[in-house]
Amino acid sequence: MMPASKAVEVDGLTIDYETGRGRVRAVDAVSFSLAPSEILGLVGESGSGKSTVAMALLGHVATTARVIGGRVRVAEEDLFGLPAHRLAHYRGRRIGFVPQNPATGLSPNRRVGAQLVEVAMHHGVASSREQALLLAREQFTLVGLPNPDSLLRRYPHELSGGQQQRVCIAIAVACRPELLVLDEPTTGLDVTTQARIVDLLKDLRTKSGISMLYVTHDLGLLSQIADRVGVMYAGKLVEIAPTERLFSTPRHPYSRALIASIPNIDRVTYGRHRLRGLLQRRDLPPGCPFFPRCDYAESSCADREQRLENAGVDHQVACQRWSQIPPAGLENGSSPSEAVAAPASSGELIELQNVSLVYGASGKWRGLFRRSRTPVVSDISLAIAPAEIFALVGESGSGKSTIARAMCGLLAPNSGRMRFREESLQGRLKRRALDIKRQIQYVFQNPDASLNPRESIGGLLSRPLRLYFPMPRAEGRRRIADGLLDVQLDPSYVGRRPDQMSGGERQRVAIARALVAQPALMLCDEVLSALDVSVQASIIDLLARLRRETGVAILFISHDLAVVRHLADRTGVLFAGTLVECGPTGTLFEPPFHPYTEELLLAIPAYRKRMRSIISATRSEDRTTTRRGCVYAGRCRLYLGQVCDEEPPPWRETAAGHGIRCHVPLEKLLAVGLIAARGEICCGAANEPRLETLQCAAT
Amino acid sequence: MILRLVALRCFTAALTLLLVSAITFIAVELLPGDVATSVLGQFSSETARAALRMQLHLGDPPLDRYFLWLNNLLHGDLGLALSSRRRIVDILLPRVASTLILSAAAVLIYVPLALFPAVAQAVRHNRPLDHTLSTVTLILASVPDFLLALILLVIFVVALPVLPAVSAVTDTTDLAGWLRALVLPATTLAVVMAVYAARMLRDNLIEVLEAPHILMARLRGLPNWRILWFHALPNAIIPTLNITALNLTYLAGGVVIVEKVFGFPGFGSLMIDAIRFRDVPLIEITVLIASAVYVSANLLADLVTLLLNPRLRQARA
Amino acid sequence: MTDLAVHDTRSRWRDFCRSSSVSFRVGIVILALHLLAAALGPFLSPYGATEIGAGVPLSGISLAHPMGVDQIGRDVFSRVLNGAHIVILLSVAGTALGLVLGSVVGLLSAYVGGWLDEFIQRLIEAFVSIPYLVLGLLAVYAAGPELAGQPVLMVVVIAIVYAPRIARMARAAALDVVIRDFVTAARLRGDRAWSIIWRDLAPNTASTLLVEFALRTGYAPALIGAFGFLGFGIQPPSPEWGLMISENRNLILATPVTVLGPGLALASLVVAVNLTAEGMARMLGRSVDLAVR
Repeated sequence: MMPASKAVEVDGLTIDYETGRGRVRAVDAVSFSLAPSEILGLVGESGSGKSTVAMALLGHVATTARVIGGRVRVAEEDLFGLPAHRLAHYRGRRIGFVPQNPATGLSPNRRVGAQLVEVAMHHGVASSREQALLLAREQFTLVGLPNPDSLLRRYPHELSGGQQQRVCIAIAVACRPELLVLDEPTTGLDVTTQARIVDLLKDLRTKSGISMLYVTHDLGLLSQIADRVGVMYAGKLVEIAPTERLFSTPRHPYSRALIASIPNIDRVTYGRHRLRGLLQRRDLPPGCPFFPRCDYAESSCADREQRLENAGVDHQVACQRWSQIPPAGLENGSSPSEAVAAPASSGELIELQNVSLVYGASGKWRGLFRRSRTPVVSDISLAIAPAEIFALVGESGSGKSTIARAMCGLLAPNSGRMRFREESLQGRLKRRALDIKRQIQYVFQNPDASLNPRESIGGLLSRPLRLYFPMPRAEGRRRIADGLLDVQLDPSYVGRRPDQMSGGERQRVAIARALVAQPALMLCDEVLSALDVSVQASIIDLLARLRRETGVAILFISHDLAVVRHLADRTGVLFAGTLVECGPTGTLFEPPFHPYTEELLLAIPAYRKRMRSIISATRSEDRTTTRRGCVYAGRCRLYLGQVCDEEPPPWRETAAGHGIRCHVPLEKLLAVGLIAARGEICCGAANEPRLETLQCAAT
Repeated sequence: MILRLVALRCFTAALTLLLVSAITFIAVELLPGDVATSVLGQFSSETARAALRMQLHLGDPPLDRYFLWLNNLLHGDLGLALSSRRRIVDILLPRVASTLILSAAAVLIYVPLALFPAVAQAVRHNRPLDHTLSTVTLILASVPDFLLALILLVIFVVALPVLPAVSAVTDTTDLAGWLRALVLPATTLAVVMAVYAARMLRDNLIEVLEAPHILMARLRGLPNWRILWFHALPNAIIPTLNITALNLTYLAGGVVIVEKVFGFPGFGSLMIDAIRFRDVPLIEITVLIASAVYVSANLLADLVTLLLNPRLRQARA
Repeated sequence: MTDLAVHDTRSRWRDFCRSSSVSFRVGIVILALHLLAAALGPFLSPYGATEIGAGVPLSGISLAHPMGVDQIGRDVFSRVLNGAHIVILLSVAGTALGLVLGSVVGLLSAYVGGWLDEFIQRLIEAFVSIPYLVLGLLAVYAAGPELAGQPVLMVVVIAIVYAPRIARMARAAALDVVIRDFVTAARLRGDRAWSIIWRDLAPNTASTLLVEFALRTGYAPALIGAFGFLGFGIQPPSPEWGLMISENRNLILATPVTVLGPGLALASLVVAVNLTAEGMARMLGRSVDLAVR
């Protein structure tokens, strides 16, 4: 392999799309280069063109797109000028690709091992099937997949999301390419899985010297892995700099706004530099595309084309005013979103006592007849006070949605009781009074699915109104307009349909629809997951404000602890259907932690840096627990032995109303947590959990 | 897990057949006219008719008669045809056999006729070949089957007298005779079925070829032919299997037209004649058989789908 | 990439008018011709539909008789013109009735779910499994001798044949909608069943059903023709095209045009409706599947 001076050079790349509305410039004169063994991150909102750039590095454009100008050079050859067979040589062999959605990156009807074998044999990396199988086994081990021999024979749908993505990575690097292109590889995966994949990639780079282009909308993630970061907006590269520099002194107004919207444990406010408005492709000025949303723009910005200028060592910005904008500082201030002083206790609003739900059969009777009684949710007890925001955090499959569904009546508990306003709450929706249904409202994760595409916004909002509060039409229209204003949408939206709005706006409509019923409790089920990071911040603010102004209580479900830090009064952590820790939100971020809470905290990039803990959970998914013991025993780094497998752990409470379900006594948890937080542990081999060291240190 | 699914499917299939028998029974009950008169003729005596009615249990309440028939059926006794007083089994078997052979011939022609144009169209999507073939299949699909049969008849019997006008096969026809008799009816059937399947397969294949995992395979450098045959086609074929199941039903019933045009003595014409002559037991049996063909074809299609689509093998989440 | 490909319905109509394909336009034109023939045919036909002796029997194509003369001297072309309105009216009426029956059953079944849904599914399957010609024949005979040959009977027969198939389609389409979150949201709210079916299910299945309606209407003439061909549809001396094909079948050697004439009329009508339906479906953003017997 020739040592190339650059792994890849992109020079003035311009790509247009043909849509029903005419031509859209997806990529506009983008230039950058990648050195060998370098990881370059490319960040931007959806529609910024970053995915198009990623695909272009493989010489691919969508069928409706055309390369108008520029070159993509790998080893001195322009990929877009190559004949098909030569391009096929590069693809897979010298350039690997990891897709966003691993489920669709693998053919569903072929075994995963066979897919790797196919690629290896086609590119001549293995000359026989046996050799290819050996290579496959090797690769699977390399990416950290357990039991490679049996996994080779599985179909994609039999693997979890994280495993599927590891397989995609294995196939991508099987032929030892020089360059790896990753298009949002961890979007849609759990926070903990995400962290592990990022570790794997860093490892790969260290071992094989491969260079990477990592495309994502999550800037926080890039701070973990990238050497340099490029920021894209509306098809243009607006800033590119080494990671540290970009985070410490971002120069372009857009970069500053992006960085400001990352939810962060340290920063209590989001700062004044948040993004406002939306990317409207139709109204882009000829000069700087960020002009309509920029807080520092002057009129000449709209007309003059912005080019990349040097703003420091290896740091380039496409903004003519970069030197005139004061540098952004970290802001620490008092939080404006203070918890509302809980009203003089009038009892809990809603209470769950020892609620359990069994998979596939809701209700008391059907649960009995089920043969496989794997509980989805076992023995949950929690309570939400009026006007309180309670967050429920856990991985996918942990049962958090199930709890919400039990609360709203979609699923009836198999055992346990529920109470609402001191009275018994019926498990089945059918048996609940209309007014109860009014008081408990549900907001779904995906606004594309939760709004009727064929109804206007006005129609959507009028339905709950007419159902709960019969009123004359004029009054109804007024209420709808008020409802829209409450969620910061223009009342003129009444006539629109959902497909004429952005994702963030749709979610606001969904919230408005819940709010218009004047509920006592709103169940928000992962309402942020389908939205861009920049939009998430505004929705969080909205929810906090709504609670302040209307006194509605909120059950906020999320898989991300960082987000709930600023929103929730109390938080519960859920693992495999069991509540493992619960208490006022602040207490969860200080030791003592439940080991799983700690794992979640470690997955937050900013927090992880602070803790500097190197305990990697390679014990994932390898031990099956019996139902009798602790659900987390298979993954726990503080595993004590048989007691964790056999006996259900006790619930231990601290004075602050903070409870942890663990066999390890609180004092030890406190000690261990403090040590980790101070960063005083160092570990030998990266993959060995040094339990003894911890235990000794703690005693 | 698979066994449970299979057993469940078989059970629902049986249920459907039961419903069919009930529907047919009800429909037949509604048929006007006195059975005894139509069997014995207008000039028969009243006593003879009464005797016949007694013999056929015609006086019993309908529910009893239904269960009696069902009971006999499950014991293998199909009864006697009313009009000819012959055993139904004897009448059925040769007809069923002929139609089976005709169907087999039709299927043999149908598979390549559907597969190759569809693949060619999908690979050359939106090019002239695709448009031409689309138009051709659309026109062929719109021509009613009896018209198609007649046209083929005109071309191959009248214009180029290659094939016999009437495909009346008897016990004495030899193999060559059979083949010559089968060509036209089988081709007609095959064309009618193939155009539907080809259109669907083309659409599915084009859709699958645009799926993300196909793009991934290309980005991994795999050659086009491999992607087509190993990654795309297995997925695209699945809905076509259901269409094939429906087509097999067509063979059982719509073959009536073809049999009439070409004079082929098969199951279809037996069914129609039974209804025409109000031959109640024969009606019930033949309709049940036709339904059974549909139901088993569907069952088979479902099972093959299970095999080809590994995702369905798990218990439904 | 969501905001790079945003369409709203208004612009889609514009795009459609601009980009409708050749085949769709051809379909519309042929369909228009048929509708014209149906409306004006009886007035414009040179001879009467049952006028015996209008021409020399079996005399073949001529200027006066572009589709020849049948064996009792009737002008085939005139008969074809007069038959147009019969075919079209019966097709539309029968399919419409089938659509109403089928969609109601299908939507309800999908919404209610549970045992009732299973049972209705079996019932639908039972009806579909009976070959349509047999079903039609049973219905015709069961209706009795007074109704035989009446157009009303044909409408009912078509409805009986189509309703189960449409019900299956409607149910499948409704099932796709029922599992979506906005329907769950409506149920959680406490909305009543009919409100959900009417405001949530129906609008979101409407386009599927519309396409289904168009395709079935397109095939209905062939159905009517098949019944007529076998002799238990519309009775003579009505100029129904299938019946004409059957009647003139024996003349196919002497004057094939007497069969091909009504055949062309029938086939072109079906082609026209199919092309139109396909174009319409594409505008609504769906792929069309001509199959589904």
